[in-house]
Amino acid sequence: MSLMASHNPSAIPGARFMDPVVLARIGNLSLVSRAVVDGFINGLHKAPYFGASVDFAEHRGYVPGDDIRRVDWRVWARTDRYYVKEYEAESNMNFSVLLDISKSMDYGSIGMTKLDYARMLTACLTNLVHHQRDRVGFVAFDEDIVEHVPPSAKHMETVLHVLDRLKPGRPGRLREPLHKLAEHFGRRGVLVVISDFYADPETVVDAVTPLRFRGNDLVVFHVLDPAEIEFGFTNASAFEDLESGEQLPVVPEAMRKEYRSLVRAHIDALQQRFSEVRVDYTLLDTSKPLDHALFRYLSSREKKLRLR
Amino acid sequence: MSFLAPLFFAALAALAIPVLIHLIQREKKQVVRFPSLMFVQRVPYKSVRRRRIHNWLLLCVRLTALALIVLAFARPFLRRDTLNTAVGAGAREVVVLLDDSYSLAYGDHWERARAAASNAINGLGPDDRGSLVLFGSGAEIALRSAASGDRPRLAAAVAAARPGASATRYAPALKVAGSILAESSLPRREVVLISDFQRGGWRGEEGARLPEGTTVTPVAIAGGADAPNVAVTGVSLARSTFSNQERVAVTAVAVNRGTRALRGGQLSLEIGGRPIQSKPLDVEVNGSVSVVFDPVTVAGAFMRGSVRASDDALAVDNAFHFVVSPAQPVRVIVVDRGATGGGALYLTRALAIGEAPRFETVVRQPDAVAEDDLRRASVVLLNDVAVPAALARRLQRFVEGGGGLLVALGPRASWSPDVDVLPAAIEAPVDRTRGDAARLGTLEFGHPGFEPFRAPRSGDFAAARIYGYRAVKPAADAQVLARFDGGAPALVERRVGAGKVLLWASSLDLSWSDFPLKPVYLPFVHRAARHLASYSEPAPWLTVGQVLDASAGAARSQPASGVVLTPSGRRVSMDEEGAEVIELAEQGFYELRNRSGDAVTAVVASNVDTAESDLTPMDPKEIVAAATAGPGGGREAGGSGQPVTPETQERSQRLWWYVLCLGILLLGADTVISNRLSKS
Repeated sequence: MSLMASHNPSAIPGARFMDPVVLARIGNLSLVSRAVVDGFINGLHKAPYFGASVDFAEHRGYVPGDDIRRVDWRVWARTDRYYVKEYEAESNMNFSVLLDISKSMDYGSIGMTKLDYARMLTACLTNLVHHQRDRVGFVAFDEDIVEHVPPSAKHMETVLHVLDRLKPGRPGRLREPLHKLAEHFGRRGVLVVISDFYADPETVVDAVTPLRFRGNDLVVFHVLDPAEIEFGFTNASAFEDLESGEQLPVVPEAMRKEYRSLVRAHIDALQQRFSEVRVDYTLLDTSKPLDHALFRYLSSREKKLRLR
Repeated sequence: MSFLAPLFFAALAALAIPVLIHLIQREKKQVVRFPSLMFVQRVPYKSVRRRRIHNWLLLCVRLTALALIVLAFARPFLRRDTLNTAVGAGAREVVVLLDDSYSLAYGDHWERARAAASNAINGLGPDDRGSLVLFGSGAEIALRSAASGDRPRLAAAVAAARPGASATRYAPALKVAGSILAESSLPRREVVLISDFQRGGWRGEEGARLPEGTTVTPVAIAGGADAPNVAVTGVSLARSTFSNQERVAVTAVAVNRGTRALRGGQLSLEIGGRPIQSKPLDVEVNGSVSVVFDPVTVAGAFMRGSVRASDDALAVDNAFHFVVSPAQPVRVIVVDRGATGGGALYLTRALAIGEAPRFETVVRQPDAVAEDDLRRASVVLLNDVAVPAALARRLQRFVEGGGGLLVALGPRASWSPDVDVLPAAIEAPVDRTRGDAARLGTLEFGHPGFEPFRAPRSGDFAAARIYGYRAVKPAADAQVLARFDGGAPALVERRVGAGKVLLWASSLDLSWSDFPLKPVYLPFVHRAARHLASYSEPAPWLTVGQVLDASAGAARSQPASGVVLTPSGRRVSMDEEGAEVIELAEQGFYELRNRSGDAVTAVVASNVDTAESDLTPMDPKEIVAAATAGPGGGREAGGSGQPVTPETQERSQRLWWYVLCLGILLLGADTVISNRLSKS
């Protein structure tokens, strides 16, 4: 397949990943998500559909009030005691992607913007989750909530459609829209937040954490362009802030080192703070294939499930 | 260091161009849109800005090259004194200016001045050269640029100097000193100015400028005697005639410029060297007294008189000399047609009135003019006569010999065309009896004959009505002094030989005009006669410093030659060509004698300039500042400099060339450096 790229990240041996830039050229999110997810699944040796409701979890002693249909009669026959079988109740989980579409996301130095990347990521995740027959939903926000697709088993196409016509416009804020959303998600589910997190780590964590309050599982993707991480500019130029429009004369060579260390410290702080509040945090470089992100998501899910 | 074209430094603003290119231009050219400046802003801004310049070496080389090129265009040059300071002390050229005006004879001033001069000479080093300049109203180089071996000659020149009779003038002395210093090749130049610094001797700068870097050391000789200082500043002579003898009354003015009043002094009048009258003299400090002596009979020509005050601190100005001679009349011959016409009446009457000078008139008919008459006369007036050719030729010789001829034309006037003396050719009469009479239109007021009428209301020539005149055609070398209102020449003058000829185109009697009846007639005739006779009032005295030419005292200008006997008895022979003049340097009587030396042709009294007896001093710094062109140009003490020749001037300004070369070399280095940088 010509679309297949030659990336071969050592983290996932055997997986075949597609260059996000190539994917971006496809344009059709549905196709993209399918291509990625199918390729990804094919590459995995483990079955992807874990969490099915038939999975046995554990036995526990019968207490009055338990449904007698759940009594394990085989165990009763062996032990003459009543035990009730418990299963993983993962079916029909709510899954929502919260996507930051602020102006700063509209930046890309390698042919695709962070928003494009996030869009594909969303499509892929939605597709993946839809395959599991979970309910998918979608929220786009900048300084307020811009788009909202409630989670539903039938909303896969809607989500892809909404994703397709997203336009970045306004400066972004995390706190207000996410706090609003935290109140909205009543039912437990999985929430994926995708943003570039241009705010203090404290502010970010403070904005994101309430999403967990109702028992939601929270996965955070921090999307950054390689230029934002490496700061590989060479010419002295006026740098213009995409959101505020403010300009600043910058000699990149002179300040690269300091910039990098600041970004590194920011990422480290986010990582640490999120791990403190038990939120999955993943830094995504838009030059890296999407599969990497999917793998991180799934592996984290798996970890979560094992923990239960 | 100074700059010939400092305005070029405005181009230093160009230095900002490379910096601006580095700092501003490149930023504006490229705008990078970036998601967030959150981290960029945290990097300290100043360090960003400062480090924006990539290569300090390159920038410095560029800026230095530009600055050097601008500096070269500003034409830097080293001032001479700066150069000399760098050279350090060297041999000196010292000019000692010693004031020998007569005011130095006051009290002990002369001894002190001489001691100061000796000090200056003794202070000369082995490599120094010294000059001695004695100055009064003029300056005389006693010894020029004497080396150390000539030191005794310098001392001898100082010892031999005596105060003269002249007044003080600083400017000529400074000019002489300037010329000596300018020719000197020694590195340090000094002027020692020894004088009593009288205020009267300095009349501003007068162009006396010493070479740049000259040190002027003024030595003021002042104070000392506390005594009256009486000066006889002038006499006035009032002539009168008493029983056919001419007498003169002398009035003398004495001034006391000393610090103490004079009491019980004497003022005496001497004639021919013998005191004949004496008057008591009391003068207050800064006061003046005029003393009138009794009239004295003028015995003969060149009577020498002196007014002398009794001795005081400054003796030179106590005497005042003058020469009185009997008044000499101007002899005029009026040539007229005779008793029948009577036209000369107005002329003779007008000439009889004059006193200064007195005119002695004789009337002759054209055929009766004797040779003796012409020899004695100074002026001949031809009043409307037909001049025979013989008389015309004699008159031509008379004029060429220095005589004056006035020709008044009337209906009868004629002149022999062979004799070219008249300033204009005489043509036909013009009749203006009908209609308006002719009047005098334009006058040449610059001419001595019309000079007194120049001022407004000082004579109305236009009032005279001219009913007839002769048309004349002026000669090429003649000057038209007056014209009639129609533009025809009225008065024409021509110089022939040593004499002058005036031609009046109308008559000077009533036959053709009423001019003789007008008030301007008399002064016009007098001025014309004086002018033609070249009459000038003989001055009773001259002042030291003025020049005496050999024609002084002669009634008619004659070829000057002879011998001059100075008051000190020195004989000076004068050149035959009359080109030589003698400057009066002594006080007393100068006698002019003929070549054989046995007859006195003139006596001239010479007096000192009495302004010099005013000893009021001035601040020597004023002279120093003016001579050295202000505080920047020279110094009162310290170093000195070489004479500034055009070559040295050019050499001191050639600095720009090297600066420009260095700038261009740096530009080359800049190219090399930037090439290497771009390669790396």
